[in-house]
Amino acid sequence: MTVKRITFLQELLDFMGLGGRLHLEWISSAEAQKFARVVTQFTDRIRALGPNPLPGWQLSNQLLFYPEPVAGVCPKEDSWNESKRPV
Amino acid sequence: MEREQKARVKEWLEKGEIDVFLGYRMFQGHPLPYCFHPGRAHEIQGLTEGTARYPLVKIALGMARREPDIRIGLLGRDCDRRALKILAVWNQIDPNRFRTLDLNCCPSPLKTQAECSYLSPVNSGFLKGLAGVENSLDLDEVEGWGREERFVRWMHEFQKCIKCYGCRNICPVCFCSECSLEHPDFIGTGDLPPEVPLFHLARAVHMAGRCIDCGLCEEACPVDIPLRLLYRKANEIMKRVFDYAAGTDDDKPPFSALEEKVTLEPRKIDVAQGEGR
Repeated sequence: MTVKRITFLQELLDFMGLGGRLHLEWISSAEAQKFARVVTQFTDRIRALGPNPLPGWQLSNQLLFYPEPVAGVCPKEDSWNESKRPV
Repeated sequence: MEREQKARVKEWLEKGEIDVFLGYRMFQGHPLPYCFHPGRAHEIQGLTEGTARYPLVKIALGMARREPDIRIGLLGRDCDRRALKILAVWNQIDPNRFRTLDLNCCPSPLKTQAECSYLSPVNSGFLKGLAGVENSLDLDEVEGWGREERFVRWMHEFQKCIKCYGCRNICPVCFCSECSLEHPDFIGTGDLPPEVPLFHLARAVHMAGRCIDCGLCEEACPVDIPLRLLYRKANEIMKRVFDYAAGTDDDKPPFSALEEKVTLEPRKIDVAQGEGR
């Protein structure tokens, strides 16, 4: 049941743009080595994906100014004050 | 509304096969939900259907909860019939006490003119297409975008949410008496704006195996979030991964814990294999 739900959630997050950040693993408390290995590998994978875009996210005006969206975290500064605002 | 259909409803009410009939009746120029009952059988002549869709199934569910013995007839659009099937599968209603007057209202190659509010043209402004997600998109188009673009566009939509609970209130298959969107231990009430995208993701996960694709949520949303598109993706995952289509047959849905037998088989799970999502 857990596998089904996690699989579903992984696909849904992927659809929304937050994919690749959820992993399911069954590890007993006696399998310490496996735990260390799994966590290290997953941490590396997350690091490769970049920081979590959720905190500090604001309404992005950037899509109005640039034809293609800017990758990564949207800046916290108010982009209306920047000179890139169209006249 | 054909004369034979009205006559059939009248017959059901007079013979006592149903106690009430839920349909629409014109009131000051608008078809509004109305409960016809045998005491006033002459009103059946006013039975009508229109493009406006109200959640008759939800009204019927409320009635059945208060009076478990009541037998209800209702106008059965395709989506309403799927909703009744899902509610029966989840043990919320007794299907023997419900009867539908089947309406063939979903558009098909043979019937392009259909009585459904979902078919009215969608006028969305330029900002939605530029910075957000248009309601009329296909799933393939959304999946064609890259990961960052998908995230920014969906967040643009979700952050408009005002937590009106319209989507949850109007959904015909939302039946939980303790909704986790209202429960203080999960997403509580108050606290505006809602935590995006948690509110919508939680709802989408709960819609897995239940959403019948009626589109009432998208119609109810005051800020025009493409909810039907999101739940369509949830349905597509259910179909592809679990081979389950809600409302089409009487199978138990994959996420229901009812009568499930758990088996533990040893399986090799490879952590190093990254899907690159």
